Parts: sequence; structure tokens; C-alpha cells
Amino acid sequence: MAGHKFHWNDWCPGCGNFGILSAEQQAITELGITNNTVIVGGIGCSGKLSQYTRIPVSGVHTLHGRAIPFAVGIKLANPSLEVIVNGGDGDLLGIGAGHFVSVGRRNVDIVVILHNNGVYGLTKGQAAPTLFRGMKTKSLPRPNINDAINPVTLALASGYTFVARAYAYDVPHLKEIIKQAIKHKGLAFVDILQPCPTYNDINTKEWYDKRVYKMQDMDPVVKSESEMQEKLKKAIDKSYEWGERIPIGIFYKNELVPTYEERIKTSAPSYYDNYPAEQKIEYEKKLTTIIDPLLEERKVAEDN
Amino acid sequence: MRISWMIGGAQGTGIDTSANIFGKVVSTLGYYIYGNREYHSNIKGRHSYFTLTISDKKVRSIPEKADILVSFDAETVLQHFNEIKGYIIYNEGVKGTKVETVQSMESEVAERISKQLESENLPKTVEGALESAKRRGVKLIPVNYDEIAKKVAEEAKVQLSVVERVKNVIGIAVSTKLLGINEEHLAKVAGSTFKQELYRKLNVMAIKKAYELTESVYSLPKLEGAPERYLLDGNTAVAIGKIYGGLRFQSYYPITPASDESMYIEAHQEVLMEDPKTGDKKKGAVVVVQAEDELAAVNMAVGAALTGIRSSTATSGPGFSLMVEGIGWAGMNEVPVVITYYIRGGPSTGLPTRTSQADLLFSLFAGHGEFPKIVVASGTHDEAFKDAVLTLNLAERYQTPVIHLVEKTLANSYTTVPKQDLGVGQLYADRGKLILSPPEDYARFQFTDDGVSPRAPLGKALMYYTGDEHNEYGFISEDPVNRNIIYEKRMKKLELADKEIPEEERVKVYGNVNSENVVITWGAPTGVFMDILEETKLDFALLQLRMFSPFPSRFVSKFLQGRKRIIAAEGNYLAQAGKIVKMNTGIEATNYILKWNGRPFLRDEVEEALRNVIEKDVKKVMLSGGS
Repeated sequence: MAGHKFHWNDWCPGCGNFGILSAEQQAITELGITNNTVIVGGIGCSGKLSQYTRIPVSGVHTLHGRAIPFAVGIKLANPSLEVIVNGGDGDLLGIGAGHFVSVGRRNVDIVVILHNNGVYGLTKGQAAPTLFRGMKTKSLPRPNINDAINPVTLALASGYTFVARAYAYDVPHLKEIIKQAIKHKGLAFVDILQPCPTYNDINTKEWYDKRVYKMQDMDPVVKSESEMQEKLKKAIDKSYEWGERIPIGIFYKNELVPTYEERIKTSAPSYYDNYPAEQKIEYEKKLTTIIDPLLEERKVAEDN
Repeated sequence: MRISWMIGGAQGTGIDTSANIFGKVVSTLGYYIYGNREYHSNIKGRHSYFTLTISDKKVRSIPEKADILVSFDAETVLQHFNEIKGYIIYNEGVKGTKVETVQSMESEVAERISKQLESENLPKTVEGALESAKRRGVKLIPVNYDEIAKKVAEEAKVQLSVVERVKNVIGIAVSTKLLGINEEHLAKVAGSTFKQELYRKLNVMAIKKAYELTESVYSLPKLEGAPERYLLDGNTAVAIGKIYGGLRFQSYYPITPASDESMYIEAHQEVLMEDPKTGDKKKGAVVVVQAEDELAAVNMAVGAALTGIRSSTATSGPGFSLMVEGIGWAGMNEVPVVITYYIRGGPSTGLPTRTSQADLLFSLFAGHGEFPKIVVASGTHDEAFKDAVLTLNLAERYQTPVIHLVEKTLANSYTTVPKQDLGVGQLYADRGKLILSPPEDYARFQFTDDGVSPRAPLGKALMYYTGDEHNEYGFISEDPVNRNIIYEKRMKKLELADKEIPEEERVKVYGNVNSENVVITWGAPTGVFMDILEETKLDFALLQLRMFSPFPSRFVSKFLQGRKRIIAAEGNYLAQAGKIVKMNTGIEATNYILKWNGRPFLRDEVEEALRNVIEKDVKKVMLSGGS
């Protein structure tokens, strides 16, 4: 497999992406889903992960900000596939923010992984939507004048039914979180704190190592409709904790919300039994769709 | 035989329903109809109207002047009194309305009408407009809608407000009486639109009273031996064609005039399929997603297509602008996806609800870099249906985006299409090199002699896609040698398509093929020229361009050689198709018939323009018909 041979990886030495890739490889392998997993990426360092998987999973390297719509199209056409989106903060929360929010309204059963390093790495370190105001990383000509988006809060507010945060350098923990995200029925989001050793000289490994801690007192699982509101509120509250201590782990998990696929089923009951990618639309070039009822509706006849 | 009928009123007051009832009444008598809908970009209140041609032969155009106008409000009379040659049915109650008091009318229109009435020494009122029409020989039929409604209410012993809903049928009834259509037939068709017995009864009563108001002047008997036909508008023709053609994923963002197509598919999203081998029937879903924007819409469709299914999106100019990036990705990654492009007036949001042919060059050259793209333009409703299947086939055969051009005129007009014209049964699926059992060492972009690689559904094999330049396996590669080879592989597919798709299917010829005059046109104006060919003795050949990429260069070049007049007739300023012809053949148009006011090509104005071009060698005619 000449073309499959590992080739040069563009990530800088020490990049958090190596930890993310490693955790994803392990999670997918341990779950035994390599054959039907598709990694979808946007543009930037994060997007290239779809090219570097090195385990037998397919990769789709798409457009800047558009990984989510691509993933939704893939998943809805073939719901038997496991679809995992990888995107940077600029990708998912800047140029692709509309998709990030909209997919929340749909609860499509995919996983969205955010490579959160505060900068646009591949274009030399411009400020990304998660960089706080006033911060001046070494790549910026002057301090950042934009406020930062809180990805966990945004995901919670947008309707993601599994919301977690992890740290790129704690691979075993990250792997477990990704496994849970994949197993979750519904739309899962994992915010991964990821140092950029080249351009972000503020949120470094040393900076994060001192601050991240695993949440112990959090019970994120919604077990009945009645506790949904309360659990969501708690998760949102917790999502604002940032500074000297930064929580990682699962903030919220709710499998009571119907997935988009289940919602399609209410109007097209055959959706799961015969989903688009399985349908036989022709046989020896002959079209199989019976069109007569639709034409009949349009027929010009005196009795209608 | 050819009669044209027009109905107008404020958007949201039942004009649509009235036009539908009327269309049904005449088409169920065996007549062919072609109807066009014009409307403002608004929900309620602005002036909207339908023009309908009735004929005993197939018809594909509307005239400039209608025989009958049905109106309820003042604005309809004011907007159209110049466009009527036979009868104006009007509401007596609005006679005194002054032009300046009609708030919903655009000031430019009001000013124009006022000036005209002033120059004719007529009062600037509805009455003045009616008088102006009368001086030209138009007959006026006053109707007291309120009085009829009141009488019906009294007789039926119901409140007047209940009768409001049947008021619209009065105008229809007066016109069907004029046409000599019997009362019972109208009552039956109109009655079928109401579920409740009471409304059916009120309808019959209103029709009866309306029939007493006038005498029949035309005679539309039931036509014997009319073939089986379907009533199709362009949006629905494409939608049904797509479903039939095996489309199983459609995403869209709401936009006029494209949305109706997607909404139709969604309303019919569960389809029945029959296995021809076993006869087993199975239901299957077409997934329709209303996306958050056009960027999402096109990329969802592209993502879905990767799984091996037939996938598409539908939009119009502003949406297409946003989709271009995604189309480029599909081109780079050899993804079969169909983009149905409903052209409306631009630039920017332009004339959102009016027609145009100004996006031809944009559709053809959309996207940065070079990649093969197939561009098909339908001219008639039956073509729109068949092309929906064709474009799905071409997308898969050449593994490339296909853009299907349909203008607003075609999308929002409707006509009776004979069953055999749809070609159901003859249409087929060409899935190209789709393989369901790929080899272990599968390379998605494997180099082949013809440039087309075997395509496996995502999930069936290990595969990689990237918008960056890549090698056979889909891995990023900036190697100059690989770049040359894979670039050529992609581009070569267009040459293959050019070789394989018969040129005769990409361009159609009508009329006197040996004439010294050739009209080059595309899209909806084609039908207008076809009607003129059938109904006049004007000598010309009609060349309908159906595919702009790959362009049928050899055919067109040969056909145009040595002609005296080459007339580019299209709905834009630049004569864009003419430019494409020149680009591909070196032959330039000699004369032009162009229109860009947002209204469709009207039969009479086109005939006059054509006479001026052919007989007086006028170089350029700008058409301005329509209100």
C-alpha cells in the first residue's frame, strides 16, 4: 500500500495534536470500530488529522469551517458510519460558528472534537475565537482586542447532548472521554485544551499542567426529563470556571433527546431499515423508484 | 386557437387558488395551457398576477397582450389595462379609485400611468384607465362582487363573512362564461377545491349569479381525444425527476425561486422502490435537510454523495455565490453532486422573484482553479424533468459537479405535459464506475486511461479525501510530477464527456435548418421561439443550447458556418450565451434580442423583434414587455 505509507506529518514538535491523534487512535481501536469510522476535518493543523490517522479509518479533509456540514451529510446518508469531526477553534468557532451552533439544534449522532489552542497555527498565529482579550501571544503584533468564546458553554447552549473537556497531554483521560463521546447516542462535543508550542507562549504545557484538574463532584448524566434543566444549569455554571483551576471531564450527558436520525424516522419510517446509502435505486440501469403516484397527483383528469 | 387570460390581485388574496381553478377548468376540457406567475418579493399585499395561454395545441409561451383580464382590485386594472385586447372584468366598487391613492403600487408605475392618462385627457382613476382601454376597443364587464356576495348570503341564509371565501370564483365564472364553458363543469372543478359541502353549495350559487352577467363570446368545447397529460411547474418537474432518478439526499437553504423544489421532495420523502428482478417492493427515505445556510447545504450534499448516493442541492444566485467554494471541493475530489440553479434577477439580491438569464457565465466559471464541471440548461418543462435524471447520471458517470440551470420563468410557470414527453420508462440510471466491493489496496483517485477512477462508497473501503492536491490515494501531495498527472486526469474527464455525450443531445435545432437566419437561445425563451416557429411564417432556424459544458463546439460551429444572421436571443445584457459560442467556435452573433427587465420573453414582443431583425436587419433589440 504505497500510498498509505506514513509520510511527513506537518505538526510541530511538541504539538498537542499528537496527543489528540494518539487518543483518537486508541479510542477507535479499543472500540473496534476502525472499519466504519470516518474522520472529518476542516482546514488548519487540526484538519490534517484526517490525513494522519495511521489506523485503518477513512479521512475527509474538507474546507475551512465546513467539516460539520460534510459530516452531517455523510452521517445522514449512511447512519451506520461513526463520524468524528476534528476542528480548530478558528475552524469550528470562527468561520464555522454557524454550523457549530446549528448542528446542536439537530443532535446528529456524531462527535465534534475541538482542538483549542487559541491561535490560528497554520497561518502563523493570529488570534482565534478562544483567545482572551488583552492577551498578546508572541505571534501577535498587539494584544488581542476580541473577547473569547467559551466553547463548553456555547455547546451546552446550542443543544449538544454530550459535552466534555479534556487536555491534549493527558492522553489516557482524553482517550476515555473520546470513547464516551463516540458511544454517546446523540451529538457529542469534546473541547480539548491544546498548547501550541510555536505560537501560543501563554497557554503552554506548564501553564495548563498547573491548572487542569479532573472533576470529581460532577454527576453530568441526565436520567429523567425532570432533571434536565437542573443538570444543564449546573453544567453551564461549571463551564465558567477558568483561571487558576480549569476543570476537565464530562459536563453534561443526556440521551433522552431524540437524535436527528430518529426525528427523520418520524416522517420517513423506513429511514433506518433502508437508509439512503443502502437503497437500490437501479437494477441493470433500470430505475427502481415507482414514480406513478407522484405523477398521478399531477394528472389532468376531469374527475380531480 | 389561442386565448390568453390574466388574473391579478394583491398577494395573499386567493389569486393563486383562482388561477389554479381556472387552469384546471380549461385543462380538464382537453386544452393545453401555459401559465406564468409574477409576484413581488413580499408575503401579502403587493400586486401579483398570472397569465395563462390556452390552446388546442402544445403551447410554451404567454403573449404580450391578454384577451381577458380578471380583476378585483384597483391596482390590477391600473397595472394591466394597456396589456389587454379583449375584455376587462372589473369590480364596479373600485371605479373611482385614484391612481395616487393605491399605496401598494410602486411610485414609478403610478407616475407612468398618471402621465399616460393625462396625455389622453382622462381622469387619473381606475375609470380613466378603463376608458383608455375602451377607446382601444376593449370591452368592459363590470361586476358588483359585493352585491353578488350579499345575494348569495341572503339566499343561503349565512353570514356575509362566510361568503367571502367564494368571492374569487365570481371573476373566474364571468371569464369561463365568456369562453363558453358550461356552468356545471366550472362548479365541479371549483367544488373539488372545497372540502365542506356548504362552500360547494355557495360556489354553485355564486357561479350561477355570475353566469347571468355576460354572454359567451368564445367557444371552448370539450376537446375529444386529448392525450393523457400532467400539469407541471418547473420546480415540481425537477423534484419528481430527481426522485425518479434515484436522488436520496437533498439539502437546501430557503431561497426564491428554488425552495419549492426541496419542499416538494420533503413532502414526498418516502418513496416506493421495486426490484425489477423479484418484483419486491420496498420503501426508502429521501433525506431532505433545511440547512443553516447555503455553505452548509452544498457541503452536506457533497458529504452525502461521498457515501455513494445520489445527492443534490437547489438554490439561486445569492445562494450559489456562497456555494462556489464547496463546488470547488467537489471538483477537486471528483464528487458527483448536482446543483440545481434557479436563475433570478441579480446582482446581489436584485429582483428576487423575477426571471433572468444573467448567471450563465457565473455558473460556467464558478470556482477558483480549474476543474471539470458540467452545465446543463433546460428549456421546457419536460426537459426540466428529464434533465433532472440526466444530470444525476452525468454527475456519476464523470464524477464531477453538475450544474442544472432553470430560470425563474420555468420554475414558476406551469404547463400541461403529455405523458409520452416525459419519457418515463426510457429514462435510466448510469452510475458510472461505482464499485461496491473495492479491492483491499483501493486508491480512490486511481489513474486510469479515461481519467475516471472506480468510485467506492465511503465506508466500503479505506479512502482519503482532501481539498489539497493529492495523490492516487487521496493523500496531500505537492509533488510537481504528481500534480501534472492528477491535474490532467481530472481535466481529461471533460474531454471524455465531450467525446461521449452526443452533440445532438447538447444542442437542439428547430425550424428551417437551412435558413439564412439562426436564432441562438437557451432556457425558457426557447419555448417562445418554438411557438413562433409553429404559428408564423418567419424564416429562421432555432438553435437551442442545452449544454454549455462540455460545449457542442463542432456541431454549433458547423451549423453557424456561412449564415447571414446569427441572432443571440437571451435574458441578459451581455449576450452571455453568444459570448460562449464565440469562445468555443470563433463565430460571433450578428444581431441581438435581449431582455433584462426581470420579465419573461413574451411571444408578441419577440415576434416583432424577430421581424425587425430579419426584415430590417436591426442589430440589437431590447425587449421591455411585462408589468
